[in-house]
Amino acid sequence: MREVIAIAVKDLRLMLRDKAGFFFIFFFPLLIAIFFGTLFVNEGSTANRLKVFVIDEDQTSASQAFVDRLKAAPELEVHPASRQEAVDRVRRGGGTAYIAVLAGFAEGNIFGDNPPAVELGVDPTRRAEEGLLEGVLMKYASERLSELFTDPAKATASLEQWRQEVLKQPELSAAERQKVAGFLEDLSNVISRMPPAEDDGQPQGRFEPLRIEKADVQVHWEGPPSSYAVTFPQGVMWGILGCAAAFGISLVIERTRGTLVRLRMAPLGRGHILAGKALACFITMVTLSVTLLVFARLVFGVRPGSLSKLAFALGAVAVCFVGIMMLLSVLGRTEQAAGGIGWAVVVVMAMLGGGMLPLFFMPKWLQAISHFSPVKWGILAMEGAMWRGFSYTEMLLPCAILLAIGTVCFAVGERAFKWLE
Amino acid sequence: MLRISNLHKSFGDIRAVDGLSLEINRGEVFGLLGPNGAGKTTTVNIAVGLLTPDSGNVEIAGYGSPADRSVRRIIGVAPQALSLYDELTAEENVAFFGRIAGMPGVRLREQVKSTLEFVDLYDRRKEAVSTYSGGMKRRLNLAVAMVHDPELLFLDEPTVGVDPQSRNAIFEKVLALRERGRTIVYTTHYMEEAQRLCDRVGIIDHGRLLALDTVEGLLKTYGGQRVLVAERLQGEVRVPTDDPLRELNRLQAESQLLSFRLETPDLESVFLKLTGRLLRD
Repeated sequence: MREVIAIAVKDLRLMLRDKAGFFFIFFFPLLIAIFFGTLFVNEGSTANRLKVFVIDEDQTSASQAFVDRLKAAPELEVHPASRQEAVDRVRRGGGTAYIAVLAGFAEGNIFGDNPPAVELGVDPTRRAEEGLLEGVLMKYASERLSELFTDPAKATASLEQWRQEVLKQPELSAAERQKVAGFLEDLSNVISRMPPAEDDGQPQGRFEPLRIEKADVQVHWEGPPSSYAVTFPQGVMWGILGCAAAFGISLVIERTRGTLVRLRMAPLGRGHILAGKALACFITMVTLSVTLLVFARLVFGVRPGSLSKLAFALGAVAVCFVGIMMLLSVLGRTEQAAGGIGWAVVVVMAMLGGGMLPLFFMPKWLQAISHFSPVKWGILAMEGAMWRGFSYTEMLLPCAILLAIGTVCFAVGERAFKWLE
Repeated sequence: MLRISNLHKSFGDIRAVDGLSLEINRGEVFGLLGPNGAGKTTTVNIAVGLLTPDSGNVEIAGYGSPADRSVRRIIGVAPQALSLYDELTAEENVAFFGRIAGMPGVRLREQVKSTLEFVDLYDRRKEAVSTYSGGMKRRLNLAVAMVHDPELLFLDEPTVGVDPQSRNAIFEKVLALRERGRTIVYTTHYMEEAQRLCDRVGIIDHGRLLALDTVEGLLKTYGGQRVLVAERLQGEVRVPTDDPLRELNRLQAESQLLSFRLETPDLESVFLKLTGRLLRD
């Protein structure tokens, strides 16, 4: 063990003396994590909301109440704007649509030819969201109407306004006017005798065009607490990939500079040499991961869901990529070849595993291939421990896959190293 | 100390070592002399357990085969190619190789210090090897080989590419190691090094041992007579002789001598006699 530790310490010293290598292993992933975390900061809460610009051209309490209702809507990210500004922003792709609450909105008669109206202008490239927006608008208009009828004071005022309008309709006969006006008066009398509805925040049952029964679904995934909780595990993964690539060429460097001959002439077995290198790589990977995650905790407040699960995940990831490093180290006979092969393998693994592009952006067949990338399982294991709330049983699958990949790669690398001697 | 018996090793069609046998005594400096490609380094690599022979065996007296890891603890090797970590300091290099040779902490510190002092690098022990001259790197290469105080030391072409001053420094170190009772196998293609340093010399070519004796014995057996070269008005005359003084008097009696010199046989002439080629060919 003394010899293994000596080789590991020597390799760590060599890594620390290589300033460029040190930068790319430790600081580059940190910068990546901070950069992308900052880019997407606060996006987590609004990423799935439709960004709309709202213009209130009616400027009445009713229109203002409707705008407020839209602002409070979880489906929408509302930005008040002037008509000109709203049209321009949507035209330039700055939002999904604009909604103009037209003048006369408050006087709109839901039973006549002049209902309350809004103008909806949708970005032509986002037509798919138009239907969704119309549905959302109808929903909140219905809620407004529901409130109108469930608040006796508002309802009687509206009925009186409509009764007066009916009495003025020239196209109706006098008998018809009296009949409708009488109905509205009777309705008003009935409503005025009703107790006011308790405001429980829900639409009241007395005006309900469609009852939607809602079933509670247990929420397994509450989402990352911040963008840094997503980018730091990815930064850790990039650092680990950098370690694998950097240590992957260290055996070739030993060979080309002649020190491997000296190591083999020493009273050491092949296993000592490989174990020493693996230990150095493992220590670097773990140190890097812990450094990045502590930084994320101290600076950005990213708190892991479970420290023990995170340690389990990091251990499995490190074992996996130490094995991959060992395999990479025997693939090339020159530093250039080993370096090129190492980075090519690492980049392809990162691309397929969601290290560069989120998996859900990929076509289905590519998502299926991603199962073969240890990067996917590494990120999943870390996220599982960080914020996905995985149980130990759920952690087992990604971690077992990582450990299996690491073991197989190490064994193949060790075997190949024997053949290269 | 070291017995090599009927060693054979081929690389494809190339026969690198061809039935080589020799014995090296404890405490001697043994020279393995031969041109480049003669099989010296292959022989050393087999002798230290780095290569497996096709046939034959190597045994270190009282220990066993160098293929056994524990036996390698008593062997030190300074390979022909410099084998150092340029980014580390001299002290770190020496300490690292001492540690993997199994030296314990306190003894290792003492040994690192004395070894660096021995090769005159102690004052610059904290400097990265990348800042060293070629001669300093050669001395450090030697220090790394001897940090664990091995009984048997293989120095494979230890003066390749160094300036005369550094070469002399290395000669002094080799002689000092002999004084300490170390057994040294010294491979070289410079006959003057073998002649100056080695108690016995094995001459090797095409993987075969052509002759083995003390330098004096080799010269006596294969070197031929000394040659008196005299320059007279009539021209140069070369006279092989065992008694140069008598021949010189005879020539002077015959005619006036302008100058003369005595050519004594060396290992170059021994090699020429044995192979029909010069060492540097």
